[in-house]
Amino acid sequence: MAKILIAEDERDIRDLITFTLRFAGHDVIPTANGEEAVEAALRELPDLVLMDVRMPRMTGYQACEQMKKEITIKHIPVVFLSAKGQESEVRTGIEVGAVEYILKPFAPDQLTEKVKAILEKYR
Amino acid sequence: MSALIIHNDIVHYEVLGRGRPIIFLHGWVGSWRYWIPTMQAASASYRSYALDMWGFGDTAKSKTRYTINEQVSLLDNFLEEMGIGKIALVGHDLGAIVALRFAEKFPSYVDRVMAIGFPLETALINDRLKANTPVELGNWMLNGIPGGEAAIQEAAKVDNDAILATLENISDLNLLGMVLNLTIPCLLVHGENDQAVTIPPIDTLANLNDHAHHIIFENAGHYPMINEPNKFNRLLTDFLALAAGESPRNLQLKEEWKRRFR
Repeated sequence: MAKILIAEDERDIRDLITFTLRFAGHDVIPTANGEEAVEAALRELPDLVLMDVRMPRMTGYQACEQMKKEITIKHIPVVFLSAKGQESEVRTGIEVGAVEYILKPFAPDQLTEKVKAILEKYR
Repeated sequence: MSALIIHNDIVHYEVLGRGRPIIFLHGWVGSWRYWIPTMQAASASYRSYALDMWGFGDTAKSKTRYTINEQVSLLDNFLEEMGIGKIALVGHDLGAIVALRFAEKFPSYVDRVMAIGFPLETALINDRLKANTPVELGNWMLNGIPGGEAAIQEAAKVDNDAILATLENISDLNLLGMVLNLTIPCLLVHGENDQAVTIPPIDTLANLNDHAHHIIFENAGHYPMINEPNKFNRLLTDFLALAAGESPRNLQLKEEWKRRFR
């Protein structure tokens, strides 16, 4: 199982994602904004980063750009959680270095399956 | 893993969401883990707690505490330690017995009870529960059923004595009376193909008062929350949405509902 960093500013969603992935067997590091996410990524060296786009203090895009400049973590795949209807966000996300995106809304079991597939693809 | 110490022994629980508290109590075969999808669904509006009872999951195998009354005390101590007030209880077979016994003993603490696979009479319980190991029981009821893996895996952690002690213990209880005497809403749920607890006869169900209602999942066995999770979660959400004291008599199975991250 993998070490997964979550960056999501909405507490209820962050808790639910954390709960879902933790009990799917992953080691989960929850953070509440882009700045915390970059700090935690440098410290924890996760296998995967799941990140919301719109967050306070540092957006998901900015956090992803920061991560891609850091030699110790630039290889870590970043996946954006993006709302349906905001497809322009997806393009920008890929441009700043994300490898995949997961469109919201999605059910907990779909998240587990998607994360499993992404980990198999990029490990 | 979240845990607290009760009577010098570890009690394992997990919690998710914010809002009014719900306590999920597992049954004879499994642990808190098979409530995960239900907790995920309920957490949109409620604070969902699930705990492992004595002898199950990651809670202590404390053999002197395997009676129904000790499991009820565990719940009482848990609520006190956690500072949780009035609760909705959702219990499955053994968990349903503990929930209804708790509601009988502490009526002012309980807002409503959903009892799944609750044996209204001891004769309705399959003798196989006494004869087989927890793992054998898990395979019997859930092998090959999507979503059943968690309960089967956790069956290996169950102390068989915890099952046997509670099964012997319930012959002292008036199970039907526990439902008939309730003055709070109670929703009884059974799977049509339940292998472990037979659906109560119609003449028994005819005795239920306005506080209680019975719903059958036609395509489910002993674990409707695993067999038909979306339909089950919708029913639970509807039950929890009733006003305090409102009769559950109008509840019915509806279109499937699935919580999504937004």
